Amino acid sequence: MLLHLLVLAPFVAAILMVATSKEDPKSSSRLAFLFGVAFFAMSIALVAGGNQATEPMEWFRIPGCRGPVYYYLYSHGLGAWMVFLSCGLSLVALITARNTFEKNYRNFAIGIFALMGAMNGTFLSADAVLFFFFFEAMVIPAAVMIAGYGGKERTKAAMTFAIYTLVGSAPMMVALWYLLTVADNSLLLSFAIALQGLPAETQFVILLCFLLAFLVKTPIFPFHGWQAITYAEAPAPLSAILTGAMSKAGVFGFIAWILPIFPLSMTVVNVMLWLGLATAVYGALLALRATDAKKLLAYSSMGHLGLAVAGVFSLSEAMLPAVLVLLVAHGISAGVQFYLAGVAERMTGTRDITLMGGLAGKNPVFSTLFGFAAIMALAVPGTAGFVGEFTVLLAIWDMGPFPAVVAGFCLILSAAYMLRFVQKVIFGKQAREYEEGKRMTALEGSAFGIMVALLLTFGVHPAFITNSLHLFDEDAIEEMSKLSGQEGEAVEGAPADSLAEQSSDAAEPAEEHRPMTEAEIAQLDSTLAEAGFDESERAALIQQMIAADAAQANESAQANVEATENE
Amino acid sequence: MELQAVYVQVLALVLFAIGLVVALGRRNVFFVLMGVELALNAVNLSFVGFAKTLPADMSVAGQIVPLFSIAIAAAEACVGLAMVILIFRNRESVDADTYSNMKG
Amino acid sequence: MTNLPLWLIPLFPLVGTVLLGAIAVISSGSKKGPAEGIVGFLAVLFPVLAFASVVLLAWGMPVEGIRLTLCNWIDIPLFKVDIGFLFDGLSRIMLLFVTGIGSLITLYSIGYMHGDRGFARFFAYINLFLFSMIVLVLSDNLLLTFLGWEGVGLCSYLLIGFWNKDLKNCQAANKAFIVNRVGDIGFLLGMLCLVTVGGSEILNYDSLNAFIQMLIAGGHVEIVLPLLSLAGLLFFIGCTGKSAQIPLLTWLPDAMAGPTPVSALIHAATMVTSGVYLLARMGELFSLLPVVLLIITLIGLATAFWAAVAGLFQNDIKKVLAYSTISQLGYMFMAAGVCAFDASIFHVFTHAFFKAALFLGAGAVIHALAGEQDMRKMGGLLRKTPVTACVMIFAFFAIIGFPGFAGFWSKDLILERLYTSGSLGPVFYGIGLLTAVITAVYMSRLIILTFFGSYRGSKESEEHIHEAPASMLIPMVVLSIGAIFAGYFWADSLGMTMFKDSLAPVLGAAQSGVAHMHVNPVIFAGLGTLAALLGMFIALKVYGSSRVPEAKGSSAPEGFKADWTFFFDTIHKFCGIIPVAVLAWIADVVVEKILQAAQWMVGAIAEILGDGAAAFQVRKVRLQLALSVAGVAILVAVVLLTGGSI
Repeated sequence: MLLHLLVLAPFVAAILMVATSKEDPKSSSRLAFLFGVAFFAMSIALVAGGNQATEPMEWFRIPGCRGPVYYYLYSHGLGAWMVFLSCGLSLVALITARNTFEKNYRNFAIGIFALMGAMNGTFLSADAVLFFFFFEAMVIPAAVMIAGYGGKERTKAAMTFAIYTLVGSAPMMVALWYLLTVADNSLLLSFAIALQGLPAETQFVILLCFLLAFLVKTPIFPFHGWQAITYAEAPAPLSAILTGAMSKAGVFGFIAWILPIFPLSMTVVNVMLWLGLATAVYGALLALRATDAKKLLAYSSMGHLGLAVAGVFSLSEAMLPAVLVLLVAHGISAGVQFYLAGVAERMTGTRDITLMGGLAGKNPVFSTLFGFAAIMALAVPGTAGFVGEFTVLLAIWDMGPFPAVVAGFCLILSAAYMLRFVQKVIFGKQAREYEEGKRMTALEGSAFGIMVALLLTFGVHPAFITNSLHLFDEDAIEEMSKLSGQEGEAVEGAPADSLAEQSSDAAEPAEEHRPMTEAEIAQLDSTLAEAGFDESERAALIQQMIAADAAQANESAQANVEATENE
Repeated sequence: MELQAVYVQVLALVLFAIGLVVALGRRNVFFVLMGVELALNAVNLSFVGFAKTLPADMSVAGQIVPLFSIAIAAAEACVGLAMVILIFRNRESVDADTYSNMKG
Repeated sequence: MTNLPLWLIPLFPLVGTVLLGAIAVISSGSKKGPAEGIVGFLAVLFPVLAFASVVLLAWGMPVEGIRLTLCNWIDIPLFKVDIGFLFDGLSRIMLLFVTGIGSLITLYSIGYMHGDRGFARFFAYINLFLFSMIVLVLSDNLLLTFLGWEGVGLCSYLLIGFWNKDLKNCQAANKAFIVNRVGDIGFLLGMLCLVTVGGSEILNYDSLNAFIQMLIAGGHVEIVLPLLSLAGLLFFIGCTGKSAQIPLLTWLPDAMAGPTPVSALIHAATMVTSGVYLLARMGELFSLLPVVLLIITLIGLATAFWAAVAGLFQNDIKKVLAYSTISQLGYMFMAAGVCAFDASIFHVFTHAFFKAALFLGAGAVIHALAGEQDMRKMGGLLRKTPVTACVMIFAFFAIIGFPGFAGFWSKDLILERLYTSGSLGPVFYGIGLLTAVITAVYMSRLIILTFFGSYRGSKESEEHIHEAPASMLIPMVVLSIGAIFAGYFWADSLGMTMFKDSLAPVLGAAQSGVAHMHVNPVIFAGLGTLAALLGMFIALKVYGSSRVPEAKGSSAPEGFKADWTFFFDTIHKFCGIIPVAVLAWIADVVVEKILQAAQWMVGAIAEILGDGAAAFQVRKVRLQLALSVAGVAILVAVVLLTGGSI
């Protein structure tokens, strides 16, 4: 129920928001705030509730594909924390947007809710097609909001963002469709089984298609062209969500889809590790030179996520909790930094850090929070960022000292650019007279304060995060394999017997033939009985099946023997 | 003498051809619309005509489909006319050849 | 009273931080600022409470120390670390002087920071610093030490850039943090290296020592020696960052931009010595690694000598003290390099007193002269500020190693250990002694320029010169008493070895491997005294009579003096800053542009194709319709003709 609510209710909320006034943000902001709090509470319940799943429901079938696409939501620790980020950051975005957009707040809130629903769907889908659906759906509200509420070059930014990310994931759609034609259904398990049966080249092509989508979304080094301009031009509350939650979809994809499905070769792992490290260094270097506050933060996010991806592909045992802590820490700290950069932009009327300065004397509370947020981003021990980065470094060290040294170099660079940022924005003398924009309100300030406090809490007691992590428990696997089994039966029930034969062949690639068990025979018997066959017919059919089964077993055993001889 | 199925088809063909010629030949957008309607009705007729060739219990389907399509044609005519009127307001012209925004 | 829980010690300053931070934030909106009385009281209260609890604990500490595991910190596969505290002989001494001197300097700061707009903020930072430093020292594992390690670095950053209106201060703060970060990464990688050797348990000091003893007992040292040496080297890089040794020492002189009490507390007495503490804490590990030990000794020697010479060239009173701190830290590293960890900790202990006294004295002088730091504009202050002058002169005697004063005992001990350390010992000893002479010269120069002769500043400023208030004088006097008598905790030749004995349970194993031959301590004492007297004599000859050059413009050294002083800044520039800048330039200007061009090209291809497709579009609607009908007709015809087999 919770899962359905988290995924579907945001869309309902978006529709309900239409009922409020467009011109006057008073009523719409209150409603939006209430909704936001409700979703945030639900996400906390989700994180606290441990693994849970919904009943898989058949969504649709694609002609020519063997199985249906399910509407099947599943929450493991990783997804739950990402949902936590998405709901929490959306709530803060709704709060802080109230002071940024006087008019048209309502439409912004509608966009945020739509985006939140899509993000939650991405992180909770257990079905690949459903995942892809939400993965693509995220782009649209985000692009529309950028085009509607962005800075000077908003149209260009929105176009770049939408086209780049949609084109990036287009190959994944093709790969999905292909996988659907060979797999029993679109769940993880059947994909993994189906891939085992494919030749290595095909596997590699499919892997590339999947990788490309996630590489673009994260983004990783050569595919980051959309990121800086998008984050810079998007309104600050949206940038915070984009980097804090949406970009996590890429890393999430690597962990939740690439790693379990694909048998990865060492080359691929190494390439990905170095791509991640290259991104980390590259982002840090660009951040050193950036003069646009939001671009600087965008590059810094890129650097951190590069580190996370490098951590993922260290494939160390410590990887999963390490990367999760890093992601949560980065989500909160990058989010709060973007919000604060937005407030700074509001107060000074510019994004150029060379034109800012002196905010420490002017607005001490804001500056305290700003400094705190920067310290969190620096991964000083005692903050969640440190736990994340240290453990990720530990994971990377598994791949050898050299990658770890490179990662350490990034930490030095991150100190350099972050301190430069702090110095330019809040320290020094005021460069010029600012047009007084709206100052930070108490509600905003306390929201940011809570985020900072969360980072400290997770830094001292990361067990909150690491203990809630059980990627796929036994129940989920069982459920998935049951679905695959069901599908096989359903096909057998269909009139075309040849199809059934084919499917059982493909589902169990030549290697090992499993003889039918007693239970299976009994099950088959009862199914046949339901289908209206009488006693004798059933017995005959089952006899036939068992004989065919035995023949096949012989065959495959022979094939195995031959294969070993060939070797 | 029973009506030969082929005559119905020939009539439908002639009607369709007239409709097509009108739709392609006339520049006045109302005539184009009327031509399209005529072609649509020709197809309905063709349906009914073919339905006659089937045994009685199966020919019902052929007679029901035209009913649907007539209903849809009515709706489509409404929308079509409304669009034409809107375009006319914008363009001050009923000449279909002037409607060429789609080309860059 | 020994059942006092250990976590109380760091808790006090933490509470202080939170309270004072809240006061600072809340009062930031008001015009007047918080009431200084209350803030000052709170600011001193918590360090004093921490000091009191340390004293209570220290009194009844059992020989093997007190251990307390508070809770789990990180628990993931392959890595498990607890938050735990270890209170033993080593941390006892460190804590005693950290909290003790911390309290005194906080008291001093109340007078020094009087009337500053960020009064509460300052003390919040100071309390946070004390918390971090206590955690650093009290922790029972490396990761928690690292928390304190970066925490003190952070506080140092915050306090150097305390007057953040001036961008110069901010730059100095940034420099301090970034250079320290380089060292910290060394520390971090060192921890990772240790984890590879023995799993995450050996991040705990007790387990580390047990692990090493097991290695020695099993004779497996050879196998892991390369990895352990790497780890040791990485940790040492961390120490060079925090303790300002070659090559990461450039930040400390710049750090003098902060308020003077900060320089006294953080950049002289406590934080910069944490590198030495770490070496001693991991003494058993380092004693296994002869190569690393040799490197440590050499680096310490080079640093001590270089910084002493650089100290000769400075005109800024705080810069002289900064270089002298670096030089003294060099001594401590030398001692650690020859496995004389107890001697180096002893020097840390005495140095904390006399250097803090010197800095506080310098602060009082600067306070009296309304912010003037250039020694060329001082002079003759002995008569105007007698208490300050006495304090500084006592501390001066201590630092040059005048017989009877604190520095005499600790420095001679280090030199003696150097001499007896092995075949290279006499060479080390010679350089060390030479450095001691130079130390005496530049310190005498400082005292002569500041307190003797006649006042060289402007007339109107002369009238404002006044002695510091009592809240500043009391800590100074207490510290100067320490500077005189702290040496008697370990005066070998007088048979007082209390300090040594209290450290023996912790450091004994680490130092057992090094056989010290017995020498006559009187000769060393005599030579040390001679060095101090010689230095004073040279300084008197050179600076005592001749005219002091006119102060013009900045107090920064010029010419060859600048070359010497900024030697490592230049190296950093060419080896660190410029390559990174070039890399960043390449990334930003070359690679990014290439990628944008590629992106543009893909876009252009799509555009061109689109334009081409658009050219097929015919203008007339009816013609389009006709063409589509024709298309359908053709399709139908093809299907008919081929029988649908395509």
